[in-house]
Amino acid sequence: MTNGASFTEKAVCILSWGAALTVPAVLCTLMGFLLWRGVPGWSLALIFGDTAPLNALLRGAPVFDGLWPACLGTLALVALAAGIAVPIGIASGVYLAEYARGRSRQVFSFCVDLLAGIPSILMGLFGFALILLLRRTVAPAANTGLLLSALCLALLVLPYLISTTRLSIEGLPQELRLAGACLGLSHGQVVGRILLPAGMHGIFSGVILAVGRAAEDTAVILLTGVVANAGTPSSLTGKYEALPFHIYYLAAEHQSPAQLTQAFAAALVLLCLTGLLFAAARLLHARLEKKWKTGTTI
Amino acid sequence: MENGNNHLNPCAFRIEDLSVRFDGRAVINRVNLEVCQGGPTFLLGRSGSGKTTLLRAINRLNECFPGCETSGRVCLRLGGEWAEVYAPGTPVELLRRQAGMVFQSPNVLPLSVERNMSLPLRTALGLPAEECAQRVEQALREVHLWEEVRDRLAAPATTLSGGQQQRLCLARALALRPEILLLDEPTASLDFKAARQIEDLLVELKSRYTLLVVSHSLSQAHRLAEQVFVLRDGGQVERLAENVFRDKEALLAAMDELV
Repeated sequence: MTNGASFTEKAVCILSWGAALTVPAVLCTLMGFLLWRGVPGWSLALIFGDTAPLNALLRGAPVFDGLWPACLGTLALVALAAGIAVPIGIASGVYLAEYARGRSRQVFSFCVDLLAGIPSILMGLFGFALILLLRRTVAPAANTGLLLSALCLALLVLPYLISTTRLSIEGLPQELRLAGACLGLSHGQVVGRILLPAGMHGIFSGVILAVGRAAEDTAVILLTGVVANAGTPSSLTGKYEALPFHIYYLAAEHQSPAQLTQAFAAALVLLCLTGLLFAAARLLHARLEKKWKTGTTI
Repeated sequence: MENGNNHLNPCAFRIEDLSVRFDGRAVINRVNLEVCQGGPTFLLGRSGSGKTTLLRAINRLNECFPGCETSGRVCLRLGGEWAEVYAPGTPVELLRRQAGMVFQSPNVLPLSVERNMSLPLRTALGLPAEECAQRVEQALREVHLWEEVRDRLAAPATTLSGGQQQRLCLARALALRPEILLLDEPTASLDFKAARQIEDLLVELKSRYTLLVVSHSLSQAHRLAEQVFVLRDGGQVERLAENVFRDKEALLAAMDELV
């Protein structure tokens, strides 16, 4: 019996170690592969094509054959989607954690779970159908574009934001609520001045998850307005380029090995872009937390 | 039990027929209690007898827990006027500022020392920065903490010792200028020396505030109390006569009989 138990123990131990090591191993392999295939394709021309980089950056000169419009398109898309989803998601999470009781809480949580289970292609289809409906009814000129994509992406990432906000606020110790209440703060003040800042860490990881998801999703934008060549995004309703679609397009339709290398290089650019967004989110988090804890930002 | 308390200060608050239930289970049942100004008034009883619930019924903190039902009356004398705690028009935030509370284990917010003090002043009272700083210093001096923390106001409050944290919590309540202080076993999580400091503070504060202290310590009640009540397991409150709690043996005997 003891032998059996110790054998099981050992096996579980080895399996756990194996499972724990799998994640970094997979990550390293993936990164290594991307770097190996992508780095040779890196050059300023990859981003800016034949246009002088300073001209493109400062004067908005049009860039052909470069990733610059796709970078701007992805940034605009993520900013718009986050601008829509983050306030709604955090507010819904707070409502679920602090205000919803009984039946409405059950119904609402069920809806959030359901929304989280919807595949992204369905979200794209929904956006597409919405435009068809609009065209047939109130707005015959409506067409797919940046804003529609951002709306559908916001819907896609909303459940992440709601769940992380809800969990991080529900996980806070009851003492915080009591401390706030017994100091004469109203429920709203306890939520706004104590619970939300205290749960900021969890909420920001939700935001990072949402931003990453919005930056990489291809299925939604495929049906709602992304195109291969549109130049820098100029209006909310216009067509636009985006990095994930660009990568997909290059990889699927490449005519030469050089184009495939370009796709890998573009994938690296997308990775760097999301990395930058994460860094910005962390910086914002650090500043907000410091302001809350000490009342100063310096 | 002793009836007349004419030599004591006027009544500060009165509890009539108070019952509190959580999810239908009665925690305290038809309690009647009259506490006079100053004090300290001690509330003794076994663990689980509902002392904390009774204390939290006075500043309506039980309402922060789901499934709580309260019936009966609690009347406080605030600013010379009688206020009914459970009347629909009573502003609960104002009530909680005027009946400040200190918990068993120091519940500092995860903020700097200064922010722990100023957050309620800025948020709940909307005070300007200058007046806020003034009140912070005044309250920290009142609990003899100012000299110890004046150079580390920006440090996280959790880096203070347990006794300092508890005095910070006391100062935080005092900065809101309460009339009543509700203390829930304020020395239970502290070492001997830190507990002594808090006890000395209670003696100093009793001339300015009405103090109601929930405690497990008979010797503490024996040394400090002006008035002692015992909460029995059935939810009834008995008042101990002064000659009983001033005499250690008699206090022990009375407690054995009551709980």
